[in-house]
Amino acid sequence: MLIKKASRRGSSVSWSRRLVPYLFVAPNFAIFLTFIIWPAIRGFWISFFDSTDGVHFKYVGNANFKEILHDPTISQVARNTITYVFFYVLLAITISIALALVVNEQKFAKGFFRAILFMPVMLSPVVVGLIWSDIVDRKHGPLNAAIKMLGGGAPGWLVDTNLGMVTVVFVGLWVHVGFYSIILLAGLQGIDRSVLEAASIDGASRMQTIRQIILPLLKPTTLVIIILATIHGFQSFDFIYTLTGGGPLGATTLIVQYIYERAFGVPIRYGLGSAAGVILFLVIFAFTALNFIVGRRRNAV
Amino acid sequence: MKNIRKKIAISSALALVASLVVTGLPSAHADTSTLKPTAAQLAAWKGKTITYYFYHDSQAELDTTNAMITDFQNLTGATVKLDDVPYTTLDQQLQARIAAGNTPDVARLNNPGLYQNVALDLETYFGRTYKSEFLKGSTLQVQDPKTSHLIGLPYDLSVNGPIINVDLFKKAGIAIPTSWNWATLIADAKKAQAAGGTDYAFAMDKSGHRFSTVMSQFGAFMVDKNQKNVLPTSQHRAAKALKLITDLYAADLAPRDLWVGTGTKYSSPVNVFIAGAVPVFFSGNFNLATINASAKFNFAVVPNPKELNGGGWPGGKFLMAFKASKNADLAAYFTNWLAQPAQMERMDKAAFWLPTRNDLVAKGITYSSRQTDMNTYLADAAATPAAAYGIQSVPTLAGNIYNNIRDLMTLVMTKKITADQAIAQQITYIDTQLATLKK
Repeated sequence: MLIKKASRRGSSVSWSRRLVPYLFVAPNFAIFLTFIIWPAIRGFWISFFDSTDGVHFKYVGNANFKEILHDPTISQVARNTITYVFFYVLLAITISIALALVVNEQKFAKGFFRAILFMPVMLSPVVVGLIWSDIVDRKHGPLNAAIKMLGGGAPGWLVDTNLGMVTVVFVGLWVHVGFYSIILLAGLQGIDRSVLEAASIDGASRMQTIRQIILPLLKPTTLVIIILATIHGFQSFDFIYTLTGGGPLGATTLIVQYIYERAFGVPIRYGLGSAAGVILFLVIFAFTALNFIVGRRRNAV
Repeated sequence: MKNIRKKIAISSALALVASLVVTGLPSAHADTSTLKPTAAQLAAWKGKTITYYFYHDSQAELDTTNAMITDFQNLTGATVKLDDVPYTTLDQQLQARIAAGNTPDVARLNNPGLYQNVALDLETYFGRTYKSEFLKGSTLQVQDPKTSHLIGLPYDLSVNGPIINVDLFKKAGIAIPTSWNWATLIADAKKAQAAGGTDYAFAMDKSGHRFSTVMSQFGAFMVDKNQKNVLPTSQHRAAKALKLITDLYAADLAPRDLWVGTGTKYSSPVNVFIAGAVPVFFSGNFNLATINASAKFNFAVVPNPKELNGGGWPGGKFLMAFKASKNADLAAYFTNWLAQPAQMERMDKAAFWLPTRNDLVAKGITYSSRQTDMNTYLADAAATPAAAYGIQSVPTLAGNIYNNIRDLMTLVMTKKITADQAIAQQITYIDTQLATLKK
């Protein structure tokens, strides 16, 4: 009898214990479901409808997808996005690892330099775009004033199509590299000091230590940065819109601006914008999955 | 039985009268230019709130609107909530609000064709002859395409034209032009630039609407009053006009960075002019209040250059009340009240607007300052060729047509295509746009 009671109490305790974590997660999950998952499903659904006023929708099947794929500007937008993401991710990884290594070695005013590194992340992207548009202004910007003082010309950072892309990649890096560096710094500090000491005793040079000890041990963190940078790269819009408006001549129009202009331009076309959003989702998903799979395979090896 | 019939007849008549009072329907002879709310309306409106979706080109417009709203609130007991939005996102935000079921009650617009389906029929409230109070050309853009009923009010008439920095002209020894053509305009602008050492000689709003003025002066038009693409008939003249302007930008005589570097965004070089960095600014009377409030130099509005044609290019802003309004009669009355002669004259004087009411046009507006400048705009409005109003026959497409020629100009400035190619592409684009009307 006593045993039965105890087991009944035990099963009720384990049931409530099992329930507690779900209750803790439930509020967050409800918010996530309401504001992320449900709108995403709705967005996917709307991509099969068309509307020119955002009120009356007509089922059009895959016509929106076809329209996007036949849009003469989409190839330029795709090219711009791939160029931007490629250089942005590559440079973001390289620079943030370099910065993390430098800051990690810092003995003096460590906190100050880390704060400086992180500061651009806290700025509003709109403000970032406006500040940099003044800095790189061809006629009156301080950057060209400095170049002129050094005997150079006055490059059209926002007027020349190639320089326009260089400018937005640079500003994108300026905004995010600090954030990536701080994450990498945490990864660096997690490396066992004894491994580094052992390398030093074995006579490894600084470069050898970095290449053969630090970078391989930093791989999991680097993988996170690659995924984050890829997502940030594909999602870049706000600072670019205020910096170049997608110009000159559409040279810095990336996929998110394309979606924005299709969905909210005149006339409003939510279905078309949603279809472009679905395409972006599939592309980012594919890239992230690829990064993840490749990263895990390498780790396993 | 007779009594019952009599009772039904009397109660029907009373109900009709009551409904007319409540809905504010005026009698056929009501004078809508001084229309006052009835006692029943005042009782019904007390404590009600309507939203006025608004943008402003100058601080004077905003200040005057706020003062007018205070007067309207005192008159009706209702509250008007002013939603002041930036011009650059005017249509985008309004479309999103309508789609989200958050339609404002009244809006000030410059692209009324987009809202034809959601606009309130003002003739229901103010009678079938209401549109005759306003300039005929301006009402074309705010008529229901099926019923021809007035679904909005022309709030101001704008005219494009050049404004010059008089100090820079004097420095260069050039008299204020009273008539000129594009060759003399450019020559004078260059001289003034050299004399003043300014960054640029000439600046124009980044706008296909502004460029249409130049095309018109060269005798080129895009759409006629019958919704027909007429650009092919003036293709070479259009290309000449386009080359003239884009050459100025390509040669850095005009602020190329402002035009090319801002992508698809609208931008006005008004600040470049106010900073004294350009002697000739091609814009319109909507910028006069801002320049008047901020410029630290003498300036003047001068006549448009004359080639085949003189004159400017018509534009304007509109008022519209929306069907979705929960207080539609109040919204309709607010729209009417803002455009009554007393209020329109008040705004015209404060913000250097040109009136759209026939009575005010006949009477003329006496401005507290810059009367000569406003007279120049009026003279240019009168000299504007009738063909310039043709594009108003396609109010839903005009914005796209203007934006496309603007973007083609960017391609020409950066030498990606020639002026001839740009005009050829614009012809194709207009055909595509007009084809959507037939769907």
